[in-house]
Amino acid sequence: MAAKRTRKPKLAVWKFASCDGCQLSLLDCEDELLAVTGQVDIAYFPEASREYIRGPYDLSLVEGSITTPHDAERIHKIRRQSKVLVTIGACATAGGIQALRNFGDVKEFTRLVYPSPQFIETLKKSTAIADHVFVDFELRGCPISKEQLVEVINAYLHGRKPAVPTHSVCVECKRRGTACVMVASGIPCMGPVTQAGCGALCPAYNRGCYGCFGPMETPNTPAASGAFSRLGMNEDGIIRTYRSFNAYAEAFRRESERHEPTNH
Amino acid sequence: MANTITIDPVTRIEGHSKITIYMDDQGAVTDARFHVTQFRGFEKFCEGRPFYEMPALTARTCGICPVSHLVASAKACDELMAVRIPETAVKLRKIINLSQLIQSHALSFFHLSSPDLLLGMDADPNSRNILGLLKSHPEAARDGIALRKFGQSVIERLAGKRIHPAWVVPGGVSRPLTAELRDEILEEIPPMLEIAQRSLETFQGLYEGFEREIETFANFPSLFMGLVTDNDNLEHYDGKLRVVDANRNIVHAGIHPASYQEFIAEAVEPDSYLKSPYYRKIGYPDGLYRVGPLARLNVCERCGTPLADEALRTFRRLSPGAVLSSFHYHYARLIEIIYGLEKTRDLLREPDILDAHVRAHAEPNRFEGVGMSEAPRGMLLHHYRIDEQGLISWSNLIIATGHNNLAMNRGITQAAKAFVKGDKLEEGALNRVEAVIRCYDPCLSCSTHAIGQMPLLIELRNGNNVLDRKHRG
Repeated sequence: MAAKRTRKPKLAVWKFASCDGCQLSLLDCEDELLAVTGQVDIAYFPEASREYIRGPYDLSLVEGSITTPHDAERIHKIRRQSKVLVTIGACATAGGIQALRNFGDVKEFTRLVYPSPQFIETLKKSTAIADHVFVDFELRGCPISKEQLVEVINAYLHGRKPAVPTHSVCVECKRRGTACVMVASGIPCMGPVTQAGCGALCPAYNRGCYGCFGPMETPNTPAASGAFSRLGMNEDGIIRTYRSFNAYAEAFRRESERHEPTNH
Repeated sequence: MANTITIDPVTRIEGHSKITIYMDDQGAVTDARFHVTQFRGFEKFCEGRPFYEMPALTARTCGICPVSHLVASAKACDELMAVRIPETAVKLRKIINLSQLIQSHALSFFHLSSPDLLLGMDADPNSRNILGLLKSHPEAARDGIALRKFGQSVIERLAGKRIHPAWVVPGGVSRPLTAELRDEILEEIPPMLEIAQRSLETFQGLYEGFEREIETFANFPSLFMGLVTDNDNLEHYDGKLRVVDANRNIVHAGIHPASYQEFIAEAVEPDSYLKSPYYRKIGYPDGLYRVGPLARLNVCERCGTPLADEALRTFRRLSPGAVLSSFHYHYARLIEIIYGLEKTRDLLREPDILDAHVRAHAEPNRFEGVGMSEAPRGMLLHHYRIDEQGLISWSNLIIATGHNNLAMNRGITQAAKAFVKGDKLEEGALNRVEAVIRCYDPCLSCSTHAIGQMPLLIELRNGNNVLDRKHRG
């Protein structure tokens, strides 16, 4: 039921540990941006002062992963101020590429990189927003698809569920008419276990998919790994294939851990 | 030192940056510091990955200039494979690198800085952004959006997507250019050139209102560093690294990328997490150098395209030597947009641009490789070492924002001395100090300042006493 609107909905964009590519996708909606400014009040990085979160917001878009104690608190404040909270991108939905450190010792990282590591306050793991607060919808991708972002904003502003597919990249290859790179050219491809959204870009360029959109719904990862090893990929290679931008998404993390030497 | 900021060691920034301004007992500014981290956690988790994954992995350091990382990384990988990539692939990589330059400069100039320039440094911060600009100066805002869209859409059409594309690969590019796409882009260039030239004129007309800013926005002698071609033209993809001083005297005519370590050293200051690179032959801190659009125009002899060269001649009249005020980074960006459009057109007209041979295939043949290119913000360097299996054993990334660290600190000190008075932080002064940082367009401000305000903590201190503090974002 469409309630009569008395004011424009308020939209906020929040950033945690990330590369900013996903929120820039919003700026990439050049023509749509002009239209959107008329439809919603954009409270991006709202005017601060010390109580820097002033809401409530009808829709909060959250980019980035949680990596510091300060951020772990900040996300709770944002949740309390947001009617609907949508996470955008691999960092926010799976911990991002920086979650690769979750498999190692974080102190080793800081020592290597910073001259005075004692100043660095960081959590042991880089984690998804949904590990900390309730998330209404997770929009996948590294980076997200601009069209899917517009769909999600539209859907929530009109009180409906976004129409974003959860099937695999394979479906997109078929629709696009791309020959299967794994069957036809013997190139290992993450497409069968990866969620659609990119339009099956890499196979169209004759490369295997490398999993930017994270695991599809109920992926059969052991079968994919079996196919990779029949194509000559060794165990290290299989681990690395699952450990990229969505390394800490559960299905990919589990499958990569299954191939670690101690788990044989 | 009493300030501590939280830094996420793996990705770029923790969420805010910090400027500390120090006052003496008489209330005069003595020093100012800008704190931000670099991207260098990547250097650790790339260890053990196959070298050919590096372009895609390192592109994720930055959503604003992923193409710059792709290009520098792919060049380092070419070195590891010891291949000379096909000429057409070089040209196609140059085109995507210039598209990146155009879109990033458009974002910096129109979306981030033009609100200050068109609405004034003291304008209401609530409307001093691109959305406010859409209402007050719709034409300028639409021009900026159109230019950025052009750059982004060329990237998208060449490489499949705008952010983190996978078309630039070790050995070349993964797919040749089609005649249809070439003609399409060629057709789009003239109106973009009109926009770029119109914007340059508008900007020149605004100059008189900003004399004080020009005088005090990081206006000091320094070295400048940037790539040039063999005949010393402006260059962004390949070439040699040239260094000039404040009088545009040549300090070094052309450093080969692989020998960068002989010329660039990094100082670690006890009170900052940031390393400060300097020119080794001159030493620290006098070896301070600047990179980026202003530096590139100061080091080159000419652009090599007619409209950009005409604009460069006018630019040179600003100063008999190098142009020193960092305020002119904006000006330099507009000239580079013109150059980028002209050069893209010239490259697209090359007879071999549609050649199907765009990729060299090889196993790794060297254990070490350096790739250097000009990112929108300045020289970017990827340096890798691999083991027998082709897995990365060590890597080093030097990023433009890091080069400018010393210059940014000196710049905000100068602006703070000119505009911060007493023990209170006024909005106009605050914005000017912030605007100095925006001249350099560090990735941080570019990204987080995208539409609102730069998330920033500014503190005014006398010794350990905090006199005033403003927190944004």
